[in-house]
Amino acid sequence: MSSSNLDVSKHKTFLIDTTKCTGCRGCQVACKQWNQLGAENTKFFSGEGYQNPPAMSEYTFTRIKFKDYQKNGQNEFAFYKEMCMHCNEPACASVCPVGAFVKSPEGPVIYNADRCIGCRFCMIACPFGIPKYEWSKAFPLVKKCTGCYSRVKEGLHPACATTCPTAISYGNRTEMLAEAERRIKARPKHYYQAIYGKEEAGGTSVIYLTHQPLDELGFKKVTTRPLPSYTWQALRLVPGIFLAVGGGLSLVSWFNHRKDRIKREEAFKNSKVEPETTDQETKEEGQ
Amino acid sequence: MTAAARIIINEVKGYHNFLKFMMALVVMAVLASAVRFIFGLGATTNMNDTYPWGLWISFDVVTAVPLAAGAFTLGAIVHCFHIKKLEPLVRPAIVTGFLGYSLVSVGLLLDLGQFQRCWHTMVYWNVHSPMFEVSMCIMAYTTVLFLEFLSPVCEKFGYHMPLRVLRWLEMPLVIAAASISTLHQSSLGTFFLIAVDKLHNLWYNPLLPLQFWMSAIFTGMSIIILEATMVHRYLGQPDESELLEVLTKIIPWVLGAYLAVKFAAMAFLSHGPLFDRPVLLVLFLVEVIVGVIIPMLMFMKRSNCCDHRMQLRGASLIIFGVVLNRFNVSMFGMIQPDQVVYYPSIVESLVTIGIIAGHILFFVLLAKYFPIFEHHPETVDYSIPDHFETVAEHEHAKGAEA
Repeated sequence: MSSSNLDVSKHKTFLIDTTKCTGCRGCQVACKQWNQLGAENTKFFSGEGYQNPPAMSEYTFTRIKFKDYQKNGQNEFAFYKEMCMHCNEPACASVCPVGAFVKSPEGPVIYNADRCIGCRFCMIACPFGIPKYEWSKAFPLVKKCTGCYSRVKEGLHPACATTCPTAISYGNRTEMLAEAERRIKARPKHYYQAIYGKEEAGGTSVIYLTHQPLDELGFKKVTTRPLPSYTWQALRLVPGIFLAVGGGLSLVSWFNHRKDRIKREEAFKNSKVEPETTDQETKEEGQ
Repeated sequence: MTAAARIIINEVKGYHNFLKFMMALVVMAVLASAVRFIFGLGATTNMNDTYPWGLWISFDVVTAVPLAAGAFTLGAIVHCFHIKKLEPLVRPAIVTGFLGYSLVSVGLLLDLGQFQRCWHTMVYWNVHSPMFEVSMCIMAYTTVLFLEFLSPVCEKFGYHMPLRVLRWLEMPLVIAAASISTLHQSSLGTFFLIAVDKLHNLWYNPLLPLQFWMSAIFTGMSIIILEATMVHRYLGQPDESELLEVLTKIIPWVLGAYLAVKFAAMAFLSHGPLFDRPVLLVLFLVEVIVGVIIPMLMFMKRSNCCDHRMQLRGASLIIFGVVLNRFNVSMFGMIQPDQVVYYPSIVESLVTIGIIAGHILFFVLLAKYFPIFEHHPETVDYSIPDHFETVAEHEHAKGAEA
């Protein structure tokens, strides 16, 4: 799973400019079509705000979140595309006991369904709450955005990026970051001065530009340290602790048993009895 | 066939009503797990995408593992630190541990969505995963406990050759038990280190694995106290409160060290607000005051250490505290302010109740049919027998004494 040695700069990255998003939700439809995901029976306004479906699920890998706010006394919408962030160092890949998640060299974090044992640790670990479970099935698997790996592998762009008329650019990470910085500099009043995903969770292959402060739009505030390092700082000590505890206890018991043996031998020497009968007696004295 | 069945039925008829009740609970749990296997996790449990882990992980795994820590703690105390007089407590502790870990494995298997692929952990290694570490350790340690548990079984059936091997293996097994337990008890804490912005700061800090390990040690000792007291009360075994005094004298030191680590980690190593969620704060205070501080003060008083009633009360408080702590870390502390609250479904509850009942039931049955209490050092010759006759003679002599 060691993804840290891969070259991050070449990873294919989504640049999502939410100020250019029109909220058409073509990406949601394209995603469902390419990934052959079933429809969900939902009600409008069943979740928070205008977004539909109300939550990401085994059938919904991406959706547009709506945030209404007031500008100059007028109601306005801001949009935010929710999807897998394809972290440079994914938490899901580090916690999976069987290594079912892998950061591919192309960029998307991909899932090997044949390996998954269904422990759902990835769902606990993901800082963005992306992996979802097939709760409807008797033998469920994890479902999440694939980054359209099947398309990217063949040189195509992901379904949502292809469909999007305005907001999504797709390319190498360095280029996308440079483009994002250029836009922020060119129109400082138009953009909130931050690139979400540049450093979040140690950097991701999905980066966002916004008009409003990130927390107001519902972006999660996430640590900038790669998540696998949080567990690895403890796990790396495992072999050392195993040897230290094992060796330490062996030494302690050797000393204690030796003390006991010497005491017994001295008791035997002092007792001056015939060897045949002493074995049992010294034992009783030792108790 | 029918004759054997009749013998079994007659045997069961002779059991105490309490045991029959436990059996009924176990049967219910078996039925409930059958329902879970047929209809799947989504239909039978209250777990969902907000709560990917429910009661089964929080209790059957994260809580049950420290509750089964008695075997490794006592093994190290008796054999490594050579406090030989506690020997009579070792075998019941091993049986408790072996049952505990077997049932942890059952709980873990029930919780896996693709349980038929559980062998994948042995084939596809990911050393970066705490879950991989814990599953390997649980498999290894269950094997160790099984080998330790074989001693009374071999004694019962008079298999002398395996007994020789097992006696020769005794020390290596005790040391392996302690080192493997250290690893997975602490790695259960490592599980939650990945939940950086999810687990509340009252519990989240880099020393969580250390705290899990330390609390496993005092929980292990408390479980031994609870178990020995119960066995004295209900199974007519001798009162061991004199031996338990050794443990009650060690416990306050471990509790004190745990408390020091906990507060130091909270003060210096946690980031962000600690006191912003009143409900979590109350849970935290109950866990620390009732589960750690009160029993520590109780056992600091000498007269309480040897009083068997106080021993039981203190141990029960510690066990309550550790159960609450594991639930706080693995469930309550992970709930975000705007989330709906999870409660276990009927199937989940029946299975967990059945697992607890099964533990009690199998312990009593093992105690009934295998020599797990007769293993007092005064009556057993520890030297490796030179001939098979020697063992037979000793057994004979023991029988005559009794």
